[in-house]
Amino acid sequence: MKVVVDGHELDLPAGTSAIDAVFAAGRDVPYFCAHSYLSPVGACRMCLIESGSPRKNPDGTFVMEGEGDAAKPKIFWFPKPMAACTMQATEGMHIRTAATSEVVAKSQAGMMEFTLLNHPLDCPTCDKGGACELQDRAFEYGYGASRFGFDRRHADKHYPLSDFIILDQERCIHCKRCVRYFEEVPGQEVLDFIERGGHTFIDTEEGGLPVGFQGNIADICPVGALLDNVARFRGRNWEYDHNPTTCTLCPVGCSITVDARNGRLERIVAGENREVNEAWICDAGRFGHGFASEGRLTGPLVRVNGELRETTWDDAIAAMRQGLAYTNPADLGLYLGSDSTLEEGVALEALAGLLGTRSVDHWPRYPVGVNAPAATMTDVATADAVVILGADLGEEAPVLELRVMEMLRGGIIPPEFPHGTAIADLRLVERPARHPERLAVIGPDSRLAGHAGIRVTVERASGGDLLGALLNPRTDEARAVLKLLTDAKQPVVILGADVLNSPSGAFATQISDLAMRTGAKVLAIPAGPNSNGLSHLNLVPRMGGLGYARLSDAPAAFISRLDPGKRARGFTVVHDTHLTDTARLADVVLPAVTNYEKRGTIVNLEGRLLPLRQSALNAGEAADLTRTLAALAEALGVRTKVRGLKSAQALLRERLGVNVENLPESGVIQSLGQRHEAPTGLRHTPNLWTERMVPKPNPSSDPRHLTIDPRWELPMAGQPGGDD
Amino acid sequence: MSYFADKQPLVADIFSRYPASPQGRRSALMPLLREVQNAFGYVSETHAAEIASLCGTTATEVRSVMSFYSTYHTVPTGKYHLQVCSTLMCALAGSDELWDHLVSTLDVQPGEVTGDGRFSVQKVECLGSCGTAPVVQIGDEGYYENVTRAKCDRLIKAMRADIPPPPDNPVPVTVREDGRQMTAKGERVGASIHDLAPLTGSEA
Repeated sequence: MKVVVDGHELDLPAGTSAIDAVFAAGRDVPYFCAHSYLSPVGACRMCLIESGSPRKNPDGTFVMEGEGDAAKPKIFWFPKPMAACTMQATEGMHIRTAATSEVVAKSQAGMMEFTLLNHPLDCPTCDKGGACELQDRAFEYGYGASRFGFDRRHADKHYPLSDFIILDQERCIHCKRCVRYFEEVPGQEVLDFIERGGHTFIDTEEGGLPVGFQGNIADICPVGALLDNVARFRGRNWEYDHNPTTCTLCPVGCSITVDARNGRLERIVAGENREVNEAWICDAGRFGHGFASEGRLTGPLVRVNGELRETTWDDAIAAMRQGLAYTNPADLGLYLGSDSTLEEGVALEALAGLLGTRSVDHWPRYPVGVNAPAATMTDVATADAVVILGADLGEEAPVLELRVMEMLRGGIIPPEFPHGTAIADLRLVERPARHPERLAVIGPDSRLAGHAGIRVTVERASGGDLLGALLNPRTDEARAVLKLLTDAKQPVVILGADVLNSPSGAFATQISDLAMRTGAKVLAIPAGPNSNGLSHLNLVPRMGGLGYARLSDAPAAFISRLDPGKRARGFTVVHDTHLTDTARLADVVLPAVTNYEKRGTIVNLEGRLLPLRQSALNAGEAADLTRTLAALAEALGVRTKVRGLKSAQALLRERLGVNVENLPESGVIQSLGQRHEAPTGLRHTPNLWTERMVPKPNPSSDPRHLTIDPRWELPMAGQPGGDD
Repeated sequence: MSYFADKQPLVADIFSRYPASPQGRRSALMPLLREVQNAFGYVSETHAAEIASLCGTTATEVRSVMSFYSTYHTVPTGKYHLQVCSTLMCALAGSDELWDHLVSTLDVQPGEVTGDGRFSVQKVECLGSCGTAPVVQIGDEGYYENVTRAKCDRLIKAMRADIPPPPDNPVPVTVREDGRQMTAKGERVGASIHDLAPLTGSEA
């Protein structure tokens, strides 16, 4: 399809919207309401263009213009500018943007003036200042001067939609992104326009926004109307160090940007990864970052006369050398958290090999892995049937829930252009028709079960053989699930904690049989954020070794970023970010970095290798596990192969055959070979919002905590606004 | 307090006018709201929630639709609900002054009902009768046109005595299948497609 934009001819796939044609041509057009993953509606009227198409005669030839060889199809222009986001580019269409058309430039400036009529000029105090679409576009496309002489409209400036989201009603430009987001993406229709005309505002009747995915509306709001209450008034956009990295609170591995200021983590916003999280992250990932900057351990602690005292790394190493002097190194248990990176895992594996220790474990993990064709997130979104077996996605992998919702509305994934994901995909529509019959949920109740066409409830008390209920169906519903799987062309089975925790002996074979029989791909949700990656390293108890469940029987232990609340029989070293209950019991406590300030690699639930990058957070002398293990090796008097990131990555290349240096931001899926499995003796209960992640109320943003001193009352106090 | 529980035939009738799909169910929102409003004079939150669950939508959307149209009320209205057009033509013809006169005479503000339960007032957007501005609509019945201060006083007096004059122009409310419009009182308004006759005579 040939389209001419500002005189440049380009070749575009059929179905491209005019706005994407403009960007594909390297030209610019302003827009506020269009969003790659939302339906285009043309609400803001900013993406105006002039467009025209050739017209055909009744005999099928084009209406021509010019004489002889110079003749070319005559372009019939629309009599007025059109919104580019809702218009499809067609064969031979001509488009003029503001760069070449006076009409467009003037209408955009007029539209901008119209939008700014009632938008307060809050930029010096607005949290969006410096990152505001409206601010940037007003500079680029506006008149640059105001003809407005009246008082502006005033409305509530601190209208809480929920604990996490504050609405500034004056700033809203009614682009409807948030309304469309809630009804199209998580399928929760909780926001809508109330009133009409100049009185319109956004509100909910549901008594707050549902926790799960509400934070995304703060990202997509093109102005500062919807703000992240956790990060509000913490800093200006240009003061933050923006660090694109990967979220490691659950196994999905969403792309995020960590915004830090003065060594504190102030805000997390979603990054785009088309393959994993598209542009969305869950509320836990966005708002649950308080722990990274609060109450951190910044230096090593050593127990002296029964009390933990601050010390230096050198003294801590000396204390470990002394404490472990009479312990056989092979008896030292090594335990690490499952959100550790692959580099840290391979460093631990190397040290364990060197010491000959058999008590190695990581937690949380499930006792069994699945050897069936693995489904990717995109497979889930584009499947024609999804069966969820014993999983509460809201706790285990929230963004996977959004991809399942995407499947329910037809699995339309916007195409990719050189300028990025399509800005307006015309196949996405408002209030899309959903296909609940494509989703079956077996197991306990969850948020997603409400959207499922087929529900099979299996009582956990009655043994709860969920897989059995699917393989040997006894009820009509269960038979319907099996039929759904058999009839579908690209089915996906998602396995969660309730099936993976206590698998029967034949579990692995049953799953691969089921996959073979039905052609289904299987997505087993790992227990920890990097359980998938760590399972490819030999980090499970070897013959005669003590697993994590039997940690307290170990003669001595090194525990990294795990909090079982108990210690080993003998000398115990804890490596953690905070002074946890376990750290309080330890002999030596070493400060750890959080995953926000780590470099390394994790493997998400699809088997995708994703990079972690280091944010500028103040963590004192904290070290990651690789360096801490080097210190431990020093204390034990051995020379380990891995002493830092580079040597760990070199070992990973040797060990798993992967090159994890310079991974692309969107990650790569690569086979990591054999898995190591072992019984755990423990049951893992997925819990996304851990206690330390729950945000503490911020006194400065809650007006109830404000104490007003009458001596400081200003003359304008009590009057609305103040921005004119 | 469920309003539609014992009105299944009515509910079925309303739903039968729309496609039997989730989208179709949502379309029944407005007639259901109208039904409740006709019965109580306004739609309470409880009833709005009931309608939301009947239509398979949320209370937020019901509120959104209700607040878009000035014809739905969330608070009780008086026996005579006076709606003053406040859009440009009426404003130029003095609807602001009329409004001030009305609220001070009746001592009532939007959302309130006078002590005797007779009057409530509301400013509404364009009533589409610019030629006879300023216009006041009374309930759902019709328009009082060219309402001067004197006319306003006369109307209020008549309403206080419960003998209001008929509206100058009744509101066409029903459109039948043949395109015929009927007023609330069942009078025919305008033409229907059956009244159309082919043009005869010489063509110009």
